[in-house]
Amino acid sequence: MINPAFTPSSDDLALLEVKDLRKVFIDRDFQTPVLKGVNFTLQKAEMVALLGPSGSGKSTLLTILGTLMRPSSGSFNMLGRELTTLKEKELSNFRNQEIGFIFQYHHLLPDFTALENVMFPHAGRLWRETRVGRERAAMLLDRVGLKDRMNYQATRLSGGQKQRVAIARALMNQPALVLADEPTGNLDRENADQVFDLMTEIQRETGTTFLLSTHDRELAERCQRRIYIESGVVVDQPVPRERTISAPRTGLRVIDGDAPSVVDRTSTTDRDLQRRA
Amino acid sequence: MRFDLKVALRYLLSNRLQSALLIGGVAVAVTVFTFNAALINGLAEFQIDRVVGSSAHVTIEPAQLRPAVLPARDNTDRLTASQVTLERREQIKQWRSVERTINTLPGVTGVSYNILGTGLVSRGQQTLPVTIKGVEPSRLAAIAPIDRNIVAGDARLGLNDVLIGRKLAENLGIRIGQPFFITSDQGRERTLTVRGLYATGIDSLDARLAYVNLDTARVMFDLPEGLSEIEIKLADIYVARQVAEQLAESTGLEATAWMDKNQNLRQALEGQGSSGNIIKMFTLITIVVGVASALLLTTFRRRPEIGIMRSFGISQRFVLSVFMIQGALIGVLGSLVGCILGFGFSTLLANISTGSGRTLPVDPSLGQYDVALLLAAAASIAAALWPARAASRIDPVEAISQ
Repeated sequence: MINPAFTPSSDDLALLEVKDLRKVFIDRDFQTPVLKGVNFTLQKAEMVALLGPSGSGKSTLLTILGTLMRPSSGSFNMLGRELTTLKEKELSNFRNQEIGFIFQYHHLLPDFTALENVMFPHAGRLWRETRVGRERAAMLLDRVGLKDRMNYQATRLSGGQKQRVAIARALMNQPALVLADEPTGNLDRENADQVFDLMTEIQRETGTTFLLSTHDRELAERCQRRIYIESGVVVDQPVPRERTISAPRTGLRVIDGDAPSVVDRTSTTDRDLQRRA
Repeated sequence: MRFDLKVALRYLLSNRLQSALLIGGVAVAVTVFTFNAALINGLAEFQIDRVVGSSAHVTIEPAQLRPAVLPARDNTDRLTASQVTLERREQIKQWRSVERTINTLPGVTGVSYNILGTGLVSRGQQTLPVTIKGVEPSRLAAIAPIDRNIVAGDARLGLNDVLIGRKLAENLGIRIGQPFFITSDQGRERTLTVRGLYATGIDSLDARLAYVNLDTARVMFDLPEGLSEIEIKLADIYVARQVAEQLAESTGLEATAWMDKNQNLRQALEGQGSSGNIIKMFTLITIVVGVASALLLTTFRRRPEIGIMRSFGISQRFVLSVFMIQGALIGVLGSLVGCILGFGFSTLLANISTGSGRTLPVDPSLGQYDVALLLAAAASIAAALWPARAASRIDPVEAISQ
């Protein structure tokens, strides 16, 4: 257990407040609005699923909340700091200490061991490895069930193990918020369930807020709260909609809970279909 | 260990072949650099030694008599110059005081007080012009190692003795112990005895210069007190110009350093030096291009990793440092290997005989290893700057989605 005694402070529960966040991508003369005024709030110590069809702006939103990209307009405030006004260096520091990332693909550094990968955010900030950092990294790896794989080169780990290391790495600097972009999207069902369970447990133990984007409705249901995003705006509930998928051989008909409001005949993959079927 | 150093080392070790090739490339360039330096500098030393080894480093001569410049009688702006008097001879009269000044100078290894003049030597029907140099017998070898160049007879200089070059002896058909009839430019005739023959290897000396006793020269050239020149040899030939300036100032005489007396040699050495510098510059350019292109490729290959580092808040400075350290390590390791190879190669060639007991004029001690090490490391660091900056500016979002 990382911190079994954790209980969120009751006096100030708001962690992140997003107001009228917009993002327009400009490519020569073309302007593509991706986020069209997103508003929502995240509380401390909650696990929230971000749902929406491909192209709805989930990844862009996570990238902006992760301070890796600046919004075109709007504001978002985290732990009392308005992040849109911070300079690049300040953002980098803030990201290092308050935000953890888990990607769909693990993105471990292949030349380093599991332990070194987990230590990296800490050692990279201090420009040196410390005993405290090493002990915390070891503890985190132990927590994700990889105690015996600590000194394995990242390339020698299986897909599920790599994603567990990525989770440990995201938690290394004890961030207030972990952003996970389809963290189980690259794993088979069994591994996906294990990784998700692990995240849920760690979230409860640490009180870290998790915002995870997923296509997996089943996993999303297991989160405390769900935010739906469609065509760049947050909606209250997705309207279940009957949709015919352009799969001539199967002719499958599915009811898609987080389907886009406009019928999208190209964005659903065969893998999605298989999972939902 | 610094964490940026650890990451840089890990990156270098993860692709050992590429790192080895890079270090090898720098090493080859540094080998060329140091060998080129050893060859050019060795050659220059050889040439200087040949010229300066048997001549003075600083020569003091009487101040040239200049025509006096007088205002015109009609009170105009014009000046008139009177002709130089032909009655006075150019000579160093107060040479004892100059001698005292020279004795106070540090780094002087030899001094010769000379009288120079020209004369005609007759033998049979032959008459040849010669330069006669009157020296104190004890200082005969102070400037040119005549005693070591004696090929027949000996280097003693009695009042009636003369030492001549082997070439002059051949031209005159004269041998040791035979009489040497000479008429000085002052019209004094004298019969001397050939005491020794020398061979310096420099034709202009061996065919024209005859050494006589200083006192003999005083009589032959009507200089009972003065001197024609004072020659000085120094421990460090490269301070000759400063010494010459110092002497000129303190004595009022004309003092000339060897490099100003041998303009041709100076130009040749400068030409050689310039060609050497061009080669050195190209070796440095090779290092910069090689290291920069390889590191740029590495940067490109590691874009997603750099993007990930940036995504968890690793600073641009840290990424910059990782790549700069890689450049520096490649530079320092390559330079060290290159210096060792350069020294070994120069030593090997310096010991290979080219026939007749001579070796190539390569001096392994003049390989400028410190300069090579410094420049190659600096070149590698400079070469790493561009890829490092490119790496530090990678957009994490773009890189991660790659």
